Amino acid sequence: MPNEYPARRRSGWWLRNPRYFMFQMREIGGVVSALYGLVLLNLLMQLSAGESAYNSFLTTLRTPPVLYLNLVFFGFVVWHAITWFMLIGKAQPIRLTREPLPWKIVFGINLILWFVVSGAVVYLIFGGM
Amino acid sequence: MAEREIVFRVTRYRPTAGGRPTFQDYRIPVRDDMVVLDGLNYIKDHVDPSLTFRWSCRMGICGSCGANVDGRPRLTCGTYIRDLGKRIVKVEPLSNFPILKDLVVDFDDFLNKLASVKPHIIRKDWGDWTKEYTQYPEDLEAYRQQSLCINCMLCYAACPVVGASPEFVGPAASALALRYIRDTRDEGAAERLARLNTKTGVWECTFVGECSVVCPKDVDPAGAIQTLKFLATQRHMRRLLMPGAR
Repeated sequence: MPNEYPARRRSGWWLRNPRYFMFQMREIGGVVSALYGLVLLNLLMQLSAGESAYNSFLTTLRTPPVLYLNLVFFGFVVWHAITWFMLIGKAQPIRLTREPLPWKIVFGINLILWFVVSGAVVYLIFGGM
Repeated sequence: MAEREIVFRVTRYRPTAGGRPTFQDYRIPVRDDMVVLDGLNYIKDHVDPSLTFRWSCRMGICGSCGANVDGRPRLTCGTYIRDLGKRIVKVEPLSNFPILKDLVVDFDDFLNKLASVKPHIIRKDWGDWTKEYTQYPEDLEAYRQQSLCINCMLCYAACPVVGASPEFVGPAASALALRYIRDTRDEGAAERLARLNTKTGVWECTFVGECSVVCPKDVDPAGAIQTLKFLATQRHMRRLLMPGAR
């Protein structure tokens, strides 16, 4: 079509709407989750390399800059988890009755399960301390 | 009814002149019972007859008057100026579509995507044309929500994935595909799922969900796409485990 103005996505589109911003944060949270996976893989590699290599890596992880970075990354991962829990009831509506369960109920159930499982894991790791 | 003046800041694009779209301000009198489309028609009738925009039914049925109002895709016939609560109302053409003139966009690409999912009943054998195909209320209920789509394309304007990947089949076409897949009279699910189970099909969707937020008919295209992902996976696995299955 002559002289039509082509469709162009504006730069900074994700800052124009709070829901786009939340979506972008969710996606960044996905990348951060993958980074956490790489850290764990590296931890295993250091473990196989010997005790001193493992301890040295743990010391690095405990330095303040890495701890602060972890805090930020943890925030992203929590947001990633929460936003996906919010989507579960919308992506696959659960029909126990004629009408599907409202997504907020599914979200609430998932949050409770998440806290219970996380609490159990924390207890298993630190319970004996 | 009391009148007050507000400014309509409207996108202007003249195809013969070329260049980039610009904004033009129109100060117009408005009343509380006026919708944005009334404001545009006031401009067209009393201020500037060259302003170009689409509209038809004025009652949220035809889906032709969609525009970005204050940055959000809306039907201008269903958006009351008083609800915007601003002294300047910004009206722009729908995002993610080429602009033909002012607020009129080119939606040929959308129509091609819609045609690709075959939005009509498909049957191998129509049999006796005089016979009725009985449907029960629950059969209708299975696809009623998706059948409410009016092709207004607000969902395409709201979808950042469409903006990033123009080949993506998009929300409305997907919702309408599900509408026919769920119709008990239809036998074309395999054809539609074959189209949708592609790189430019439903897997492109990252579930931003804004399409369902802006939909004026509560069609929930985002939910429809997730259901289609499930159906496409189910079909893929069935074909994998049972060669020859459709």
